[in-house]
Amino acid sequence: MEANTSTEKPDKPEPPKVVAMVYVCGECHAENEMRPRDPVRCRSCGYRILYKYKKRTTRLIVFDAR
Amino acid sequence: MGETVHGSLVPEWADLDPNVMSQPVKTIEDKWKLVPAFLRVKGLVKQHIDSFNYFINVDIKNIVRANSKVTSDVDPLFYVKYLDVRVGKPNIEEGMNISNDTAPHECRLRDITYSAPVMVDVEFMRGDHRIFRRDIPIGRMPIMLRSSNCVLSQCRSYAELAKYNECPHDPGGYFIIKGQEKVILIQEQLSKNRMIVEEDKKGSLTCQVTSSTHEKKSRTNVTMKNGKHYLKHNTLTDDVAVGIVFKAMGVASDQEIVQMIGTEDRIMTSFAASLEECARLNVYTQTQALKFIGNKVRQKRFFDRGPKKTPVDEARDLLATTILAHVPVEKFNFKMKSIYLALMVRRVIEAQGDTRAIDDRDYYGNKRLELAGSLISLLFEDLFKKFNSDLKKRADMVLGKKGKVSQFDTVHYMNSSQDSITNGLEVAISTGNWTIKRFKMERQGVTQVLARLSYISALGMMTRVNSQFEKTRKVSGPRSLQPSQWGMVCPSDTPEGESCGLVKNLALMTHITTEVDPEPIIELAFNCGVEDINLLSGEELSSRVVFLVFLNGNIIGVTRYHERVVRVFRAMRRNTVISGFVSIYTHYKHRCVYISSDGGRLCRPYIIVENCQPTVTEEHIKRLTRGLMSFDDFLHEGLVEYLDVNEENDSSIAMYEHEIERKTTHMEIEPFTILGVCAGLIPYPHHNQSPRNTYQCAMGKQAMGTIGYNQRNRIDTLLYNLVYPHKPLVKTRTIELINFEHLPAGHNAMVAVMSYSGYDIEDAIIINKSSLDRGYGRCLVYRNYKCSVKRYANQTSDRVQGPVMEVLEGGKQKVTWKHETLDSDGFAAVGTPVQPRQVLINKQMPTVTQLSFTNDQAQRQVSFRDTPVLHKGPGTTYVEKVMLSSDTDEFHLIKLLTRQTRRPEIGDKFSSRHGQKGVTGLIVQKEDLPFTDQGIYPDMIMNPHGFPSRMTVGKLLELLGSKSAALEGKYNYGTAFGGTPVKEIMEELVRHGYNYQGKDILYSGTTGEPLNAYIFFGPVYYQKLKHMVMDKMHARSRGPRAVLTRQPTEGRARDGGLRLGEMERDCLIGHGASMLLLERLMISSDAFDVDVCNSCGLLGYSGWCHYCRSSANVSSIRIPYACKLLFQELQSMNIVPRLRLENYCS
Repeated sequence: MEANTSTEKPDKPEPPKVVAMVYVCGECHAENEMRPRDPVRCRSCGYRILYKYKKRTTRLIVFDAR
Repeated sequence: MGETVHGSLVPEWADLDPNVMSQPVKTIEDKWKLVPAFLRVKGLVKQHIDSFNYFINVDIKNIVRANSKVTSDVDPLFYVKYLDVRVGKPNIEEGMNISNDTAPHECRLRDITYSAPVMVDVEFMRGDHRIFRRDIPIGRMPIMLRSSNCVLSQCRSYAELAKYNECPHDPGGYFIIKGQEKVILIQEQLSKNRMIVEEDKKGSLTCQVTSSTHEKKSRTNVTMKNGKHYLKHNTLTDDVAVGIVFKAMGVASDQEIVQMIGTEDRIMTSFAASLEECARLNVYTQTQALKFIGNKVRQKRFFDRGPKKTPVDEARDLLATTILAHVPVEKFNFKMKSIYLALMVRRVIEAQGDTRAIDDRDYYGNKRLELAGSLISLLFEDLFKKFNSDLKKRADMVLGKKGKVSQFDTVHYMNSSQDSITNGLEVAISTGNWTIKRFKMERQGVTQVLARLSYISALGMMTRVNSQFEKTRKVSGPRSLQPSQWGMVCPSDTPEGESCGLVKNLALMTHITTEVDPEPIIELAFNCGVEDINLLSGEELSSRVVFLVFLNGNIIGVTRYHERVVRVFRAMRRNTVISGFVSIYTHYKHRCVYISSDGGRLCRPYIIVENCQPTVTEEHIKRLTRGLMSFDDFLHEGLVEYLDVNEENDSSIAMYEHEIERKTTHMEIEPFTILGVCAGLIPYPHHNQSPRNTYQCAMGKQAMGTIGYNQRNRIDTLLYNLVYPHKPLVKTRTIELINFEHLPAGHNAMVAVMSYSGYDIEDAIIINKSSLDRGYGRCLVYRNYKCSVKRYANQTSDRVQGPVMEVLEGGKQKVTWKHETLDSDGFAAVGTPVQPRQVLINKQMPTVTQLSFTNDQAQRQVSFRDTPVLHKGPGTTYVEKVMLSSDTDEFHLIKLLTRQTRRPEIGDKFSSRHGQKGVTGLIVQKEDLPFTDQGIYPDMIMNPHGFPSRMTVGKLLELLGSKSAALEGKYNYGTAFGGTPVKEIMEELVRHGYNYQGKDILYSGTTGEPLNAYIFFGPVYYQKLKHMVMDKMHARSRGPRAVLTRQPTEGRARDGGLRLGEMERDCLIGHGASMLLLERLMISSDAFDVDVCNSCGLLGYSGWCHYCRSSANVSSIRIPYACKLLFQELQSMNIVPRLRLENYCS
């Protein structure tokens, strides 16, 4: 099933990739790019609580008018 | 008034004008304003904070000073001396010697302990050098929020608190241990170092003293047995005649003994037998007496180091240090102790045939409340002693080494063994197990997790008092309301059931004292006419002209002018020469003056009344409102003073101004302050039947609403919020004082008291559907999911993976349903809806986490096992927040907060503020509900049958009050023993064109006809309680089974079955419904086909009997699996169950 290269979607392919995600510092609200194994620490202020960024959903939202 | 007799008695009265004196006492308007002024400086949570502050700033230094020197047995040169201690600012050690200052909220989020380092200055020997060191940490002390060392104590404004993410209304007074908020509950116990005379189990009179000092805790009894007096102590194997104890203490002559106890005839005759007992036992001298006692000392099980003591020495030591440990004995001068003992004997004799002389254990003056500070100080002293003895042990070991190459490095040792104090404190507070070795004390459940269900539940927890009594004992004494609890303990707020009356809550104005230095008090006592006890022989003590003076349970002297002593002391206290928390009172029956300055006494402020006039005037109140005076100024100017329970009962306190008489000494500030926080929410509680108020106190804590301004920043395990909470239309003074208005929990619902359909019986409530649409009773339920990404010993670690794809038929890839919620980092995306059983955190754990010593290099390929965090529980939930952090062990900590919005449904629980709870019975379309001529529809319909037997008149008044408040556009007051008068409310209703009884004409929603009765109609404050059907609903057809028995599992959480229990079984047997019984108990449960061999009776396997080695007689039957299990278990213990099969048709 790995051979299916033709079907790429806006979704990500199989696991072997480490994508850095953006997290927001709980203190100074700076955006931090972080990889899974990185220590949790804001790069600009050193605070150790980061929150995940709230972004627009990718899922289809359809309201049934009934 | 103004009679000459009294005028001559009290000289100040002579120049009073009788005409002025006969005027009625003017009422002080708005004197309730003293209550908020009081609450600003003391009260509610202040006792916790004061007590902790006392410990951290004063007591900890005393403890260290008392244990300041550590020496070594091996090296006489070596010593460590503590010069000073201090507790620092709370910080977090991030490893590698980095530490950052912290705030409580960070600790809550990161699951860390909010603690500060304890630092000492030491002087010690290294080799033959004397070295000083400053600020060496010896451990970490958890810091109470808002205590003097907490960062929040510096915050002056709301904005500053907001910067720390803290709610300004949060009371503080709790600890944060590993992210959990822990409260050390107030512990109630009998006061220490006081004589209590009572009848023991055998009916003989006993005078009991529980002595408690920093080192020792012991209980001494003097009992009357067969007409003789004995001393009982648990270090003695046998009771010892009191006479012998006197002789052992050096009071050898019988005359002296009798003189000390008392030379009245009655006392001498009663004591004579005890003296003869000494002669009978051939004890005449001190040495003989000591030998006698020495032989009765209980042998310690473990051998003591040091030379074996002779019985005489042992007895002398025992008498000096253990028996009546709190009475000081210096250089074996037993004077004080013998006088104390004599008084104990005297009390026993006096109580003979006089029931009034027997003390009441439940009297609140005999109680002391132990707070966080004193509890932690006990624990800390124990840990500090252990720390020192470990240090000594270590030093002995290092210094005792033959070559003596290494010098003992004290600083290094202290640095490396900080954990013993840190962990000791942390574990005790987080588990609530208080183990203090030197007192052999072991107590469970001292701490509790702070209930954050609502603001009230958190506040209510801070005022909770736990008593040490066993819950199982069936004595009513400690449980019932004691008259001396007046004003100190809330009369309404206690749980129902097993702990009823044992768990109490403090009233609004109660303060708990902390210790006051006794030295200046002793000095003052001697200066105002108290004669030192050490200067007297025995005879004077029982003289009729003299009163004994006690300080904290110890006799300090006698006085001939007890009235003057008391008067001077009170004057000094009012002039703040001595602390306001020192109490003094005369006990005429004992002929004693008792002064107390110890900690843990309950006290409460009162307005001082002098010459029949309250000293507080309207002028003072005006200045208070203008902010020119504070509560402390009232204290300093002698207008208000604190009385503890004992002194309160020696005073004459008027409730209102018009009740002031000649003998009145004090006046109540405000009567509503006798209630606590929870009972203070009830409007018009004085119109309710008392148990209803108690019920409301329990329910107020379950009401959903707001928990603090920082609620959206918190990540609690469970958090309930109301969507649009209201301020109550009828409020109380208490509500304003405790800021319930700012953090409310409930809605002002329009209630029609009438019957509607049949779905409102048994307290069920009918709700208007349109009201629900508009947000009535809608609540948010936040739940957190936690996980930590660990690293293991074998260099492997947990990992969080992105979503897994599955291949569809067309070759397309699609994320599996379970992982639809996930982002590429493996955590659920913020804002996504999550169905039950979908993954929130896709964590994986290595299959091997142990260190393997074999082919470590070859086995680099680590295999992982899925350990995802799933959303369990009913309904869709939304991801609110995903937090990443690291805890103390440098592991990643992930917290995920989910949110559910729930609208009320049938079965959700609601309650008014009068102990009137009910579940939703029906939700009705607005169109079908009755309405008034103005087109007002009720939000709720309540059945009138709820009133007659409950007698909650307060609710009727609340409805009236709310109605008028709504019409008038203001708030009404339902304060206890006051509030807006009903007459006023009714007049307001009439003014707005309403019926003065609050009744309206309603039109039927179905027919449109006017209803045949007037309906009591208006707003009532309703609370939504946390019990919701969604969390309770449960049904099962098939489902999981227990592994061992193969029966359905138990409980909702495990999707369990509903048990057909013994009684239900009995019922089916009674009906003879054998097939149903079989179906319920076996077929639908754990039916199992087994093969039974009919020749040996044992179980076979697949048609073959292993025992007979044949298949000739094997037949298959169906039995419960539990039955098969029983047979096998019996076999395993050498009992053979054999089955014999018969065909029941033949």
